[in-house]
Amino acid sequence: MLVRVQTWWTILRICLEERLVYRGDFALGTLMRFLPIVTQIFLWTAVFAAAGSGRIGSYTRDEIVAYYLLTMLARAFSSMPGLASGIGRQVRDGEIKKFLIQPINLVGFLLLARIAHKLVYYAVAAAPFALVYYVCRDYFPGWPEGEVFAAFLLSLVLAFLVGFFLECSMGMISFWFLEVSSLLFVYMLFTFFFSGHMFPLEILPEPWLTIVNFMPFKYLAYFPAAVFLGKVQGLEMVHGLMIQSGWVVFFMITSRWLMHRGFHRYSGFGG
Amino acid sequence: MSKHPSYFGVFLTFARNSLIRDMTFRANFIIEAISSMSWMIMNLGFYTLVYRFTPNIADWDKYEFFVFISTTMFVNSLVQTFFMPNAQELSELVRTGGLDFALVKPIDTQFLVSLRRVNWSSLGNFFVALLLLAYCVPRIEGLELTVWQMLLYPLYVFLGVLILYSVMITLAATSIWLGRNQSLYDFWFYITNFSRYPMEIYEGSWGTPLRQLFTFVIPILVVINVPARFMAKPLSVDYALLAAFAVLATILCLVGSRWVFKRALWSYRSASS
Amino acid sequence: MSAIEIHGLEKSYRVYQKKEGLRASLTGLFQRDYHDVHAVRGIDLDVEQGEFVAFLGPNGAGKTTTLKLLSGVISPSGGEAHVLGHVPWKRENEYRRRFALVMGQKNQLWWDLPAQESFQLHQKIYRIDPDDFRRTRDELVDLLEVRHLLGQPVRELSLGERMKMELTAALLHSPDVLFLDEPTIGLDVVAQHNVQKFLKHYQTERKITILLTSHYMKDVAALCRRVVIIAHGEIMYDGSLAGIIDSFSGHKILSLQFADGRMPSDLARYGDVLEIVEPKARLRVDRGSIADVLSSVLASYTIEDISVEDPPLEEVIAEMFARSAEKKQVEPVGAGVTSLESDDPARS
Repeated sequence: MLVRVQTWWTILRICLEERLVYRGDFALGTLMRFLPIVTQIFLWTAVFAAAGSGRIGSYTRDEIVAYYLLTMLARAFSSMPGLASGIGRQVRDGEIKKFLIQPINLVGFLLLARIAHKLVYYAVAAAPFALVYYVCRDYFPGWPEGEVFAAFLLSLVLAFLVGFFLECSMGMISFWFLEVSSLLFVYMLFTFFFSGHMFPLEILPEPWLTIVNFMPFKYLAYFPAAVFLGKVQGLEMVHGLMIQSGWVVFFMITSRWLMHRGFHRYSGFGG
Repeated sequence: MSKHPSYFGVFLTFARNSLIRDMTFRANFIIEAISSMSWMIMNLGFYTLVYRFTPNIADWDKYEFFVFISTTMFVNSLVQTFFMPNAQELSELVRTGGLDFALVKPIDTQFLVSLRRVNWSSLGNFFVALLLLAYCVPRIEGLELTVWQMLLYPLYVFLGVLILYSVMITLAATSIWLGRNQSLYDFWFYITNFSRYPMEIYEGSWGTPLRQLFTFVIPILVVINVPARFMAKPLSVDYALLAAFAVLATILCLVGSRWVFKRALWSYRSASS
Repeated sequence: MSAIEIHGLEKSYRVYQKKEGLRASLTGLFQRDYHDVHAVRGIDLDVEQGEFVAFLGPNGAGKTTTLKLLSGVISPSGGEAHVLGHVPWKRENEYRRRFALVMGQKNQLWWDLPAQESFQLHQKIYRIDPDDFRRTRDELVDLLEVRHLLGQPVRELSLGERMKMELTAALLHSPDVLFLDEPTIGLDVVAQHNVQKFLKHYQTERKITILLTSHYMKDVAALCRRVVIIAHGEIMYDGSLAGIIDSFSGHKILSLQFADGRMPSDLARYGDVLEIVEPKARLRVDRGSIADVLSSVLASYTIEDISVEDPPLEEVIAEMFARSAEKKQVEPVGAGVTSLESDDPARS
């Protein structure tokens, strides 16, 4: 157990150092990620100005801005840059062999590495995030009640898990198709559009709204934001959390199953 | 004997070589073409959705706004085809020492470095934009297309591309000083993000100074706004003035960026062997 | 007027220190240590048209930097130079058309395309007459024996074949001056030999001026009569290869074979004993005393075989570098100075 913790700490420290080498890049980069929100604010202000009713769907202009800020936070949890492509690369380069012979579970290892990565990221990104949120505090409708907030935090953690296992499963496909970049790209596009990163999903007309509800993507960004803003309440919120957990379990099983099938197929090559 | 290279001939060879190269990676080519088009289509989807809730955005009706979007597509596809791959490669050239080879050739270095690679797959968007434009223009109420508009539109699209090129090459030149710098390219992306919307949305105590900044200091708002307005809206006096300014801005940007580039080359250090 | 004239050429860089550890990385955000590296410290050199000169020196000596200064890739911190009457760092097109640069293990040809496409590009850029171009290209590829590889993508060629293509590309426009930076580095023995053979032939035929940098003795010995030794940014020697030993070596190597199986035990009084394998011995003897040592040995012992040789050239040169390093109290070359690249936080 102690050894495990020590390993964790070393990985963490190395990740942090590595990130800090990108000095100027880093500080600037985190703040700049918020720049598109500025244009969104102007855009939606103009939209609302002409819309007349003061609400689009159930959102006021301020709520939409808060929504974007919240989806950025949710994406900080659920986005997994380089996960699927990393697996693809390891398969291509043959590095994956070590997971066949060593007593390390590939998925477990990746999960650990990703958690370390994220912790580092949060530690350093917390300040820019806090700054932006503070500056934009007027757009938020106020803190939600205790249990809603707890649900929000839970949904963030679940979003991380959904994102991780989903993209992990995508990565496993590289056992079958060496060039996954095209598939990954389509996946990224889907994620961007259908996760609610671009706009609050509830404004979609039918049949799109129903289709989106059946896909896992909305739990990556839209759902946590909607919980915080009170757009999904009470029983609906609990249901949402349950479905979100369901997706976690589903992709967790899928990724492990794919991994085993993949290893099977891979060792058949005798590389 | 001072024979200057035929710049046009050299450029054709660049284009040809790039095409041959892209064709050898056919699968990649198709994927890239599809991905850039998908992105554009998603954007169209988004705005179609928004227009269900509002009749206009900052005085731009639905079809007028779509003309705006197609102008964005024209400009972006041209920039991505001719200049983007080269700007990205510049920092690689610096890192690997490949810039040394560019510097010993008897041809203008900025020309060589800016046009070496042509990314043909990004041209897909150009054609989608043509289709979109052809679809929308007839649907704008009260618009009667004049010859002037049809001539000035492509001209101003071209000027817009040149302005974006200047910004791009200025940023890329800094990689000669700073080495690889990813955030600089992100910077380009975020800055040009502002140019994708009609300048009228930038209003108010924050908006107006922002609009001034991006019109007169870093004139990116001029890039898409001017040609789009030409095509979609009736001509007005202040717009004519802005259009004249656009010409001036293009010239200043090109001159300024060339100066930065030359300065960067002057202090080039070259990678150690 | 010489083809290449250099006076007092200098080049210095500022290098930022990168330290290890978390704390250092954090403080590095605000303040950095730096020191200045003097890559070239005042070089004077004249090279006539048609000469084949080698720059020899250890890594970091300044050979490549000098070459880059002469090809206009970088500009100096001081001093002046003229190549074919031009100031290189002005980067005039008239100048650039008249020379070529080839760097070992660095490619300028398009990676994914066959070499012949890159050659076409060269023709356009240098505005080479189509007939001249065809003739020159055919000559070169035949000499280098790479004609059959013209249609293959460059990435599929071996290192040696790629270098031959690079050489072809460089010579297509018939330059008057050729700068070669470590052209045989990384090549196998056969490829090295081929490149050397080609260069010798080409230079003898065309009488172009060639500056070659290398740290391989064999390149130099095979090709050039004039050798310029550079260390720590300065020229230490400029002359023939043979002359190096005369100027710099203070020793001779004495090899003795003793008769009657009788090996003396006090050989050390003659000089440094390098090796004793009965009945042979090898000694390093001071130049000045070689005559005395010889007469003494011959008088005292029965010698079956004797020979007096110069020490290997590499040793002489290495000794020379070491001595010069001491004199300057400079760190041994290579340590401490990690790179001469501009500060880049993204690179380790």
